[in-house]
Amino acid sequence: METSRDDFVIAIRSAFLKKGTQQRFSLLSLIFFSIVFLILGSLNFKAIDYIKKGIKEIVYRSSFIVSGPENFLKNNYLIINSHFNLYEERKKNIGELNYLRSRDLSQQIITLENIKYKKLIDDYFIEDNETVAKVLIDKQSPFLRSVIINKGSKNNIELGMVVLSEGYLVGKIVEVNFFTSRVLLISDINSKIPVSLQPGDIQAIMSGKNKQEGVLQYVKDKNLSDINKEKQVLTSGAGGIFKSGIPIGVINTDEDLAINLDKVVSFHKDFSQLKYVKVVSFFKENNNLDPSSKKNAQKMESEIEETNQRQETLRILLEQKQIADEIRIKIQKENNFLRNEHVRLKNEISLAKKNNQQNKEIKFLEMNLVYGHKCRKSFFNKLYKVGTAKYKECVLSKGLKK
Amino acid sequence: MNKINRNNIVNNLYKYIPITLLFVSALNESDFNNLGLKYFSFNFSYILIFYYSLKKSESLGYIAIFIAGLFNDVVLGAPIGLSSLMYLIICVAASYLRNITLRPSLLKDSIFFLITILIVNSLLFIILNFIFGFETNYYEQITSIIWTFLLYFLFSTIFDFFDHYFLGRNNVR
Repeated sequence: METSRDDFVIAIRSAFLKKGTQQRFSLLSLIFFSIVFLILGSLNFKAIDYIKKGIKEIVYRSSFIVSGPENFLKNNYLIINSHFNLYEERKKNIGELNYLRSRDLSQQIITLENIKYKKLIDDYFIEDNETVAKVLIDKQSPFLRSVIINKGSKNNIELGMVVLSEGYLVGKIVEVNFFTSRVLLISDINSKIPVSLQPGDIQAIMSGKNKQEGVLQYVKDKNLSDINKEKQVLTSGAGGIFKSGIPIGVINTDEDLAINLDKVVSFHKDFSQLKYVKVVSFFKENNNLDPSSKKNAQKMESEIEETNQRQETLRILLEQKQIADEIRIKIQKENNFLRNEHVRLKNEISLAKKNNQQNKEIKFLEMNLVYGHKCRKSFFNKLYKVGTAKYKECVLSKGLKK
Repeated sequence: MNKINRNNIVNNLYKYIPITLLFVSALNESDFNNLGLKYFSFNFSYILIFYYSLKKSESLGYIAIFIAGLFNDVVLGAPIGLSSLMYLIICVAASYLRNITLRPSLLKDSIFFLITILIVNSLLFIILNFIFGFETNYYEQITSIIWTFLLYFLFSTIFDFFDHYFLGRNNVR
């Protein structure tokens, strides 16, 4: 018993302390360093912070280079794939474009009205510092879904800034280095975002679930079941980190258009395909009643009015076009009908003419049998030769008139 | 003479393959531990470190492992020093196994590897959840452990093959 314990102690001691061939440090000292790093790092110790920043700057660039071949292959695969899907994509895009064009004007009106009302309740944010950044590293770890962008404190990036891609919410800045920053994606399990569900204006907190989905927390199921429509998920602006109304995704519904029990949110943006993002910060516009703001309000009023008028004109024009189209179709139909009638009558007339001629022929032949001998030229008389017009006239007038 | 020199250079290059693999797996964007598949993920670095610390500790220096851990933490966004600690614990386990083993066998190695990664992942889970407040998915961790354990057999065979045919070393089994 004693011997086996000794063996264990010796083996452990040897494992921790023996350097082995070509090892310059023992494992124990390196473990000690790691723990020191962890503890001092969590306490934001300055020296460790500087080391961390230095390592980060090197590692982010190195990782970008190391991932180069893989990214090259990935991009080529995507390009080839998109070429294969070109036709389908185009068809889909045309459909979507037509649909969106029709919605564009009403959207403009709603946006302007929204701005007006938000100004009234002092909740209007204006984009302040806007920076476009490139995604350097997109390594998804099991415990942190984040991307590294190539802009840092040098470009006035600050902690907590909002990251958007094509207007959709992507995440927020959680770490700023001199040349680079880390963006915590909204798909991360640790990201908690106050959201609002429209229609219904239901408030909830959204947390990340996986690459393309989030999950709603702290929402009453009772509220969800009231509305059987697709629900848009937007930032609610509660907490003041994100401005309200940034689109995030939609809530999945099953066939009965009922909200599923998991309350899963499908993000609009595919986070695995991020290349460029926009980092913005927002500030609240002062809602003063000074002459300039009044002028702005009036300007906005007139803009709304003008857009309303444009929409009304467009609606009338569209209605007129619809009526004109209907009339055109009706006339075209009538035209076709008359043309067909004309052709039919023409055929009938030609048929009748043909019949008439045939009747005349028959009548002549019948009379020829009876009165032919009275008109036919022979050795004894000087009448008409068979087949001539005078002979025909003679037969039809029932022989020679005295 | 030239041939001997060239062989030496090639052999030296082969020697650095484990370190290169370790750093590439730490720095590369694609991570086998997070492929996006629901029931498939494994930690390649754990397999690599355990295998080379057990069979050929001279191929992977502890310093290199420590630095690779730091790099991995930076890329993943984990608290710095955490992966280094986990990697070094694996090294300790491998070193302990090496000391107590008289007749090596793949099955015994893999069972010991399973126990090691269970301990390491538990430690990781505890540190992340209770000290640093990261939320981690328990089931993803379990999936990763199971696949890492299963794939140890495959990678161990591949590494043995590599050593045997490229470096001409037979005394590693």
